[in-house]
Amino acid sequence: MASQQSALLACQQLRVGHAGRAIAPPFDLAIREGELIAVVGRNGTGKSTWFRTVLGLLAPVSGSVTMRPGLRLSYVAQRAQLDPLYPLLARDVVAMGCERGASFTRPRWGEPAAVPAALERVGATAFASRPYRALSEGQKQRVLLARLYASDPELALLDEPTSAMDAVAEREALVAIDALRKERGTSVLVVSHYLGSIREFADRVVLLDSACETVLIGETKEVLDHAVFHRNYPQADDVCEAH
Amino acid sequence: MPHSVATWAELVEGWQLGIYRDPIVCGLVAGLALGYLGVFVVLRRMVFITAAVSQAAGMGVALAFFVQIHLGLGVSPVISAIGMALLFTLVFSLPLERLPVSREAVLGVAYIAAWSSSVMLGDRISQEAHDISSILFGTAVLVRSEDLYAVLAVSFGALLFHGIAHRGIAFALFDPEGARVQRLPVRLLDLASWVCIALVVSVATRALGVLPVFAFAVLPATAGLLAFGRLRWVLLTASALGALAGAGGYVVAFFLSLPVGACQAAVAAALLAAIWLARSLVPRA
Repeated sequence: MASQQSALLACQQLRVGHAGRAIAPPFDLAIREGELIAVVGRNGTGKSTWFRTVLGLLAPVSGSVTMRPGLRLSYVAQRAQLDPLYPLLARDVVAMGCERGASFTRPRWGEPAAVPAALERVGATAFASRPYRALSEGQKQRVLLARLYASDPELALLDEPTSAMDAVAEREALVAIDALRKERGTSVLVVSHYLGSIREFADRVVLLDSACETVLIGETKEVLDHAVFHRNYPQADDVCEAH
Repeated sequence: MPHSVATWAELVEGWQLGIYRDPIVCGLVAGLALGYLGVFVVLRRMVFITAAVSQAAGMGVALAFFVQIHLGLGVSPVISAIGMALLFTLVFSLPLERLPVSREAVLGVAYIAAWSSSVMLGDRISQEAHDISSILFGTAVLVRSEDLYAVLAVSFGALLFHGIAHRGIAFALFDPEGARVQRLPVRLLDLASWVCIALVVSVATRALGVLPVFAFAVLPATAGLLAFGRLRWVLLTASALGALAGAGGYVVAFFLSLPVGACQAAVAAALLAAIWLARSLVPRA
């Protein structure tokens, strides 16, 4: 209970799903300042639904989510959710990270200083002035990470932020995410399928397993060595070795 | 429109007398505002909203006559038209993404509902039917002062709101969930944006007619999107082309003795074609 009180965000007996139908069993989780939690699970186990529920974009089936008042949240959705028709440069997308609440009503001349800094931090400066829609999927994900950086969040939720990146870019992105929490104390919740990176960067892991109606939460090594994890990821040992 | 060969001197004289000034200014301002707002209509993939809002306004006029004739209640047809157009657009500020159908389908349903209601109400007010089109749809040839003032007030109000909230509107449209997470009032911005479109379309349709209003809301925005890859330039281009089509279309109609609304739409289409051609000849960087 004490840890839940000091948490940035806490889920209490939270069941998530759609139209009142739960897709994962209830669980408790308190997210502490500066920790990186990896969320893993096969397709359709409710990872994105859980994120959307935590963010208030979906109502919980039961249970509750409480967060510290005024908590600065930022969200990087799966890349397919953004409309490619919009005529925006990459740096325009990053500048959106600087908006919060009604800040958009205040006049602003020129680009916020956080934008070039964020672009540089994730290695996106080279294509900052190109149309966002013309970028490769991996470059788009870098831009969204830069937007996250520019938003200076206390808690960042990233839904498969590196899924379109090559191995080198993926590692650079995760190093940047790791640096965000080390430099600014940002807490990070990230959905990822890169088990080697999870082993390297995550403090804790949440495993969603809808087939067995199980949610496994624990220290990274504890979860990655668990029998339920190996049932979900039979090739996990090979993947981890490869990384 | 004169049927003899028109001259610049006649146009200038007519302008000085105020005959041509009001419709040209009205076309220019409506074109500018609708060109700007049309970018957001096109980006939402809902270009037929303009036609549908006009239909809803028509239903509002018919309803006002019906209530007046059968219930003895005095309701202003213009206010009823604007009210119905606003009510209609409120539908599109609802969280329609939760439905298993596209917004376009909802637009079609609402359009059919408004259209059929207008026909049914019109059947019961046949003696007033001729007034409906005159109240609803102007001709753009001569614009009444009160219609011009309404277009000026509503257009500048809508543009002022968009100027103040531009960054928020762009963020909320591009990534509504990301904007909500960063606590932007996405629903309110969406609603206000629709209200702006409904109001400008209602008053501009009353002053100029359906055809030019539909053209101003679609063609300049499409041209802007073809020409530029950055929103601010798209908005500036669409506004400028809309204004040019509104004023230029009137001048073309004056010299060629053709219907004004059709000429305004044709000029907007010609500008779009020119941009399209230029784009194909000069590839964007």
